[in-house]
Formats: sequence, structure tokens, C-alpha cells
Amino acid sequence: MTTPPLLPHDTQETIAAIARLLHHAADRTACQAATEGSRSELHVLGLGMHVAAAEAALLVPADLDPYWPQPTQADPLELLRIAERLARAVPVNDETAGFSQVVVSLTDLLREAGS
Amino acid sequence: MSTSTTVDQRSIGELLLDADYQARKLLLDVDGADAAAMLRTWGEVVQAAGDLWSSLPSTPYVSPLDGATMQRLETMSQAQHRAQLARDWPGDGPPDERLLGMAENLQRAAELAAGPGRRVTPRSPAAYDDLDAARMRVMHTLYVGAHAVGVAVHQHVNEVRATVSRHASDRETRDIPRGQDAATRLAAFEQLAGGFVGNRFSHVMAGEHYTPPTGTGRLHQALVSWDIQAHRTLAVTPSAPNLHLAAGTQAMIATASTAILDAAATAGRVNGEDYQHRLAPALAANQQSWAKAANRWGTLSSRGERADPALVHAANEVRAAVHEIAFDHTRWATPDVMAGRIDLAEAAATVQQAMIAGAELACVHRDIAEREPDLTGSARTIAAWSREAGIDDEIALISPGDVYANRAVKLPDLIRQALVADAEQLIDVSEATMAVAGALADVSRRESAPAPGRPQCRSEERDPVRIPAPGRPPTASR
Repeated sequence: MTTPPLLPHDTQETIAAIARLLHHAADRTACQAATEGSRSELHVLGLGMHVAAAEAALLVPADLDPYWPQPTQADPLELLRIAERLARAVPVNDETAGFSQVVVSLTDLLREAGS
Repeated sequence: MSTSTTVDQRSIGELLLDADYQARKLLLDVDGADAAAMLRTWGEVVQAAGDLWSSLPSTPYVSPLDGATMQRLETMSQAQHRAQLARDWPGDGPPDERLLGMAENLQRAAELAAGPGRRVTPRSPAAYDDLDAARMRVMHTLYVGAHAVGVAVHQHVNEVRATVSRHASDRETRDIPRGQDAATRLAAFEQLAGGFVGNRFSHVMAGEHYTPPTGTGRLHQALVSWDIQAHRTLAVTPSAPNLHLAAGTQAMIATASTAILDAAATAGRVNGEDYQHRLAPALAANQQSWAKAANRWGTLSSRGERADPALVHAANEVRAAVHEIAFDHTRWATPDVMAGRIDLAEAAATVQQAMIAGAELACVHRDIAEREPDLTGSARTIAAWSREAGIDDEIALISPGDVYANRAVKLPDLIRQALVADAEQLIDVSEATMAVAGALADVSRRESAPAPGRPQCRSEERDPVRIPAPGRPPTASR
């Protein structure tokens, strides 16, 4: 059995979901960083997630919301992992040109957050 | 007179790294529709790689077979080109721009390698290792590139098979044998290049010469570019996502400044007492204020708004520059490691300039919050904040439909006033940070340097601000 191909609208919604996950992962990381103090490395990681969320949001059509609703998960690492799993379902075609950058950012962030 | 030049300024190593990266990226974004253009352009990549290979100084090979591999690959590529001409496929047409970019990188590297003064004989083991790494990089580029072209051709053949009917004419199905022939040749090419790469890639690449980041050039340039881009973007599109990213990046700059100054203080390049009792508290307050602003604007971002791509790029570069000099894997580098990478006094001066720029950007934030007529925010967030302040949605002029769809709505006065008050506090804290940075200038620059210039808000609306006394935490003055 093979995974059914995603329709264009599904793809856009998937990228919007990835943007939302990254947006809220950045928010949660910023909260954790604030708890740890102004010198926490998490501030730098949080900005990385924020930038990746902005990169993903740029690929989302204006009628889809890349910020809301908020995902139910709270752990930034878990949010990143979900985003990475979703990214695997995004096809490579003309409509998703530029998504490679998001995939690369996600992989880098996962390595950074997981170590 | 303009000092700009159109000549590619990258080194051979940077060009090879870029070509290899392009090949890997190609593999991610390839499909059957690219097959014809890729086959048209692939020969140029191989030819440019061959030119570069022959321009590199010779080294005593471990195996004589390795030296002949590139010649065989060039021969195979020429044979494939002749076969393509004979079969009239893929024929004339546009080239694949990505492969063309790879070929240009390799050709430029060949020109540099063969240029005047380059015909030197390497003598040290490190130079031999670096040359081996360059050859490995070229071969790896061809290996991955050939695979990418092969994937495109296979997909093209499969697509043709799927679209033609059982009784299709030879003319309709001729792309199948032509594609299969090209795929077979590419598979042979890939195997030969793969044989050279084998499992030695990481071992050989370990010998590649790497110039560690020295000097604060990248950090300085990244911070300057960030400052310019933030002003440009906020002047043209003062939207919540842009303000969110601007504030978030400023908060990260404050965090990184603390880490760099801490290292400078430990290394004795900045007065330890000044750092501990004046700079560190001021930067901590600065970081918290920017983070609070980022949080505010982040929750105000609404569905149709996006951050400016140029601002995203500039923020990314600041983060990368900080990572390069101040991080050791995923932790702050120790002062010793940081001191080995950069002149910490110079870095302290760069940080000081960032503090001055940050104070000015805080003024821009306040101006936008106070005066930008078209400022909008997420209907849900505004409704929630209004309810917290005891104002219902009707008075706040937010319709249930806007809240349901989370549309962008105009900021009510109450929210605007709260944002202005936050921005005023941000200005106070930023100016306090800038004021204590004066001490930094005395230490890091031994010669008598002029006091840092105070940033000016737009003159007509700026009230006098009380600067906290040195050693005291900055407080809001209004």
C-alpha cells in the first residue's frame, strides 16, 4: 500500500501546519529561555525557530493562517519533530519551490535542540 | 569611483563547496520534466570538472587508477553527447540553470587554479591533503549530480510509459528507449564516480584546509546589514510579523552581546567590574524588554500577514554569525575558544555599535506603535486583550466574524496605548544600555575615542528621558 498523493490544497495546509508548529515552538522556547535567564542559549535557538517559521509562512497562501490555531503540544522539541514528520509528506514540485530551505532549517534545528 | 566588481570573489574551496551543495540540492528538487534540460547541460558540468581537475597541481596518488578516473568520465560524457546528437534527443532547448550554475562554479575554480602564480608545487602533507580533498569534492559533485540527472531521466521514462496507450506509435514511445539508453550511460558514470568516492569521502574531506572564522568581519557586517534592513522593512511595511521578527532578533543580539562581553571580561579585554555591575544588568534588562516586545507583536500577527523575506534573511545571517564565533556546537563557547576565533576587544566594539543601533530601533518601534495609522493585529488577540482590560468586543469594534476568522483588524486605541507604553519602556532600557556602553569604549579602545553618538528619535515627539545612574538597574522614567 502506498501513501496517497497530497492534493495541492493539502500541501498548502500541511506547510501552514508546519509554520504553526514552528511559530509556537519558537514561542515556547522563548518562554523557557526567559525562565533560564537572559544568557540562555535557548534565545538563539528560539530565533532559529522563529526564522524557520517565517520562511515556512512565506510559502503559505494569504487565506491560510500560519499562526493559529495553537498546537496542543507544548514541548518545543516535540513540535519540531512533528513538523519534520509533516515535512516528509510535502511533495517536490513547482508549488513547493523554496520548501527545501525549510527542510534544511528543520533538520538543523532538530540537531541543535536535541543535543 | 565605484569599488564594486562583477568578478566572482570566491576562493576555489568556496566554489567547490557551492558546486557540491548545488548538486545535493538538485537531488531534492528534481523530476521527470527536468530530464531534457538536464541532459543538455550535464556535459558542460563534466567538461568544467575535467578542466578543473587538470588545472590542479599533481599529487602522488595512492592508486594510479584514481588519476585516470576523470579522463574516463570525460570520455563517457563525450560519448553520451555524441549519442544524444545522433538520436536527436533531447535536441535544442533551454539549459538547466542549476546544472549551469554548477558548471560555472567549476569553470571559475579551474580559471583560478590555472591562473598566474597558481602553478606551484605543493610540498607539505597538509597541502597534499587539501588537494586530495578538492579532487574528492569535484568527484562527489559529479557522483551526486549524475544521480540527480539519472533520477530525472528515470522519472521521465516512467511518465512517458504511464501516458502512452498500448497502441501508441513508435513516435509516441520513442522517448522510452532514448531515455533508457541515457539512464544506462548515467548509471555507468555514477558507478565509476562512486567507485572513486567509495567510503573515503569523510576521511579525505578531513584533510580539507579550513580557515576558522577570524576577526569580527562577518558579525559586524551581519549586524550592520540587519540594522539597515530592519529600518527599511519597518519604514515600508510596519506590520506585526515584521515587528515581531525585529524585536526577537534584537533580543537575541542582546543575549549574544552578553556572551561576547562576558568572554571579553574574562580575557581582560573589558573591565570585569564594569561588565559585572553595569553592562550585564543593563543588557539583561534590554534583552527582557525586547523579548517582551517580540511576544506582544508575535501574538498580534494575523493570518494574511507575513514577515518580509529580506528581513528573514538578515535575521538568519545575524544568528549564523553569532553561532560561528560564540558557539561551540550547541553551547556558548568558552572564553578561551572565543578568544582564539576573534579579537574580543574588537568584538566588544562591534557589540557597542549594536547597542547604539538597538536604541534607535526602539525609537522606531515606538513611532510605529504611536503613529502608524494602518497598524493592524489579530482579531482574537485584540479581543482577548480588550476583555482583560474590561472592554467588550462591541466597544472595541471587533465583529464575531473577525474573531472567528482571526482577521487583521485595526488596533483599538487602548491596545495602541499599551503598545506605546511598552515601547517607551523599551527606549528607556535601550538608552540605559547605550549609556553604560560608554565605559566599554574606554576599555576596548585604548586611544581616546569620542563618546558614542546618541540616537535621536524624531525630534518633535521625543521627551527628555531620565538615564539611570550607572550601577543601578534601568527603570521607566514616565
